Amino acid sequence: MDPSSANRNISVIRMRDFLFVGMPADPDDSLIAALQDDVLKAMERHGSRAVLLDISLVETFDSFFARTVSETAQMVNLMGGRTIIVGMRPAVAITATQIGLTLGKIETALDVDRALSLAATEPVPKLRR
Amino acid sequence: MNPQTNLTGTAVPNTLLPEQNGMSRELLQLLVDTVRDYAIIFLDPAGHVLTWNAAAQRLKGWTADEIIGQHFSRFYPPEDLQRGKTEIELRGAVEEGRFEDEGWRVRKDGTRFWANVIITALRDKDGTLRGFGKVTRDLTERRLSEERIKKQAQEIFEMAVVPVVQVWEGIVLVPLIGTLDSQRTNQLMERLLRRVAETGSSIALVDITGVPTIDTQTAQHLIETISAVRLMGAEVVLTGVRPAIAQALVHLGIDLANVTTRPSLAGGLSMALTMLNLRVLPMTPGQ
Amino acid sequence: MAPTGSCDLCIESESDIVGARRAVREAAIQLGFGQTDVTRIVTAASELARNTFKYAGGGVMRCHPVEIGTRTGIELQFVDHGPGILDVSLAMQNGFSTSAGLGLGLPGAKRLMDEMEIESQPGRLTVVTVRKWLRN
Repeated sequence: MDPSSANRNISVIRMRDFLFVGMPADPDDSLIAALQDDVLKAMERHGSRAVLLDISLVETFDSFFARTVSETAQMVNLMGGRTIIVGMRPAVAITATQIGLTLGKIETALDVDRALSLAATEPVPKLRR
Repeated sequence: MNPQTNLTGTAVPNTLLPEQNGMSRELLQLLVDTVRDYAIIFLDPAGHVLTWNAAAQRLKGWTADEIIGQHFSRFYPPEDLQRGKTEIELRGAVEEGRFEDEGWRVRKDGTRFWANVIITALRDKDGTLRGFGKVTRDLTERRLSEERIKKQAQEIFEMAVVPVVQVWEGIVLVPLIGTLDSQRTNQLMERLLRRVAETGSSIALVDITGVPTIDTQTAQHLIETISAVRLMGAEVVLTGVRPAIAQALVHLGIDLANVTTRPSLAGGLSMALTMLNLRVLPMTPGQ
Repeated sequence: MAPTGSCDLCIESESDIVGARRAVREAAIQLGFGQTDVTRIVTAASELARNTFKYAGGGVMRCHPVEIGTRTGIELQFVDHGPGILDVSLAMQNGFSTSAGLGLGLPGAKRLMDEMEIESQPGRLTVVTVRKWLRN
C-alpha cells in the first residue's frame, strides 16, 4: 500500500446511532483539522449519540492532535453526543501521559467491541481524569 | 617504487611488502585482492591513501582512482574529526606499533557503518616509518544482532521483574515488589500496557502488597501508570493498600480519589469481577 | 540514503512536519531505540518541528547519533531565524503560549527527551537541541 495515500483519508461511517471515525497512521495537520470539520458535519446530519474515534493505527499523538480531538469532543458534547477514543496504542498512551495530555470529557475503550458496549449504556458520571 | 599490476588495478608497493619465507609476492597480492571481508589498504606516513583493495571498495564505496591520494580522514564522521581522532590513531600506531578501534565510519555516499579498525605502523629494517597498514572490518551486522539480543534479554528481564499475569478473561494482575523508580516505572508501564493490549483485558489489578513504603515518587509513578492504562481504555484496581500505605498516602497529601482501591488482592479480584458483571457462584450438588 | 541514524531536512511547509516525524522515526529505529522510546522521540520531534514551522516561520532539523563513552544516543537539532524565545524559562512553563496552540510544545518535548538545550537570539538565531540516550 502506498504510504502517502494511506494517510490522506479519514473514514466517517454512520452505524445506527453512532459515528465511527477511523484515523490513518500518520495524518498531517490539515487532515487532523479536517477531522473536526468532518465529524461536526456528520453530527449535524445524523445527530448521533456517540462518536467512536478509532486511533488504533495512529503512531504519533502529539499536543496538536490531542488538542484538536479534545476541542472536537467538546463541540460534539454541545451537539448532544459522547466521544469515545478507541484503541490507543501502548507506546502512544505512555507518551501522552508523560507529556501530561488530558482528554477531559473523552471516554476511552480498548477496542471497537467495547466502545460499542460503552456507547450503548448510559454514561456513568465520569470522574475528572 | 614499482607497483606490480594486479586483479583490481591497484597494487601493493614493493617496498612495503614484507619478506616472507616461501610466500611469493603474487600470492600475497592475491590474498589482499581476493579477501572479501577485510578492507586492506596502505597509508603514507601522513595518512594519505596509497593502495586500495576490492573489499575496501565494496565496504566504503570509493574506487581506487577516486580515493588514492586522499587523506584517510574522509572515512570518519564529523564528530570524530572534531575530536582529532585521525591524529590520535596515527600517533597511537606510531608509538605502540598498532592501534585498534571500533566505531562509526563513513562511506562515500555518507551512510555510516560500525567498523573494527587496526592501524599498523610499517617500518623498514632501520626503523624508518614507511607508512601504515589499515585493516577495516564491517561489524554493523554484528552490532545490530548484539542490539537485538540485548533487547530480547531486556524483554526477558522485564518479564521477570514485572510479571503481568492474566487471572481471568479480561483481567490481568501485576504483583509489584519493591519501590518504583523512573526506570522501573517505565518497565512497568510498557509491560503492563502491552499485556493489556495483547490479552484485551479491560481491568488491571495492580497489587502493592509487596511495596514496603510509599513515597511521593512511587505514588506519582503509580498515578502515571494508571493514567496511561485509562488512556488505552482499561481500568485499574489498586489492591493491597495496607493501613500503613493508606496512612502514608494521606500524610503525603496524595489524592487517589478517582482510583478504585482495595486492601486485599482478593477484594480487588472480587471488585474486578463485579465491574465486568461477573459473579462467582457455588456449584449445586450433582453438578 | 541518509547515514545511519541521521537526517537533515528543511521545515518550510506543513507536510515537512510529517516528513520530520518519518525521518526521525527511521533514525531512532536504526539506532536501536525500543518502541516506546521511538514514540517519545518522534513525538518530541513533531512538537518541535511544528514550533519551527508555525512559530518561527520555517527552519531546519538535523538529527544524528551521539556518543559519550559507552553511551549512545540520538540528538535532534532545530534551527531557525525567527522571532526566537525571549524568556526561555517562561517558555518552558506548562501552557505558556504566545500563539494559539503552542503551549505544550517545548515543555512536552523536554519531558519526553533526556536533555534539552535552547539558545535564542530573537530575530537572529534560535537553536533547540534535544537528546535521548539508549538505555543499557
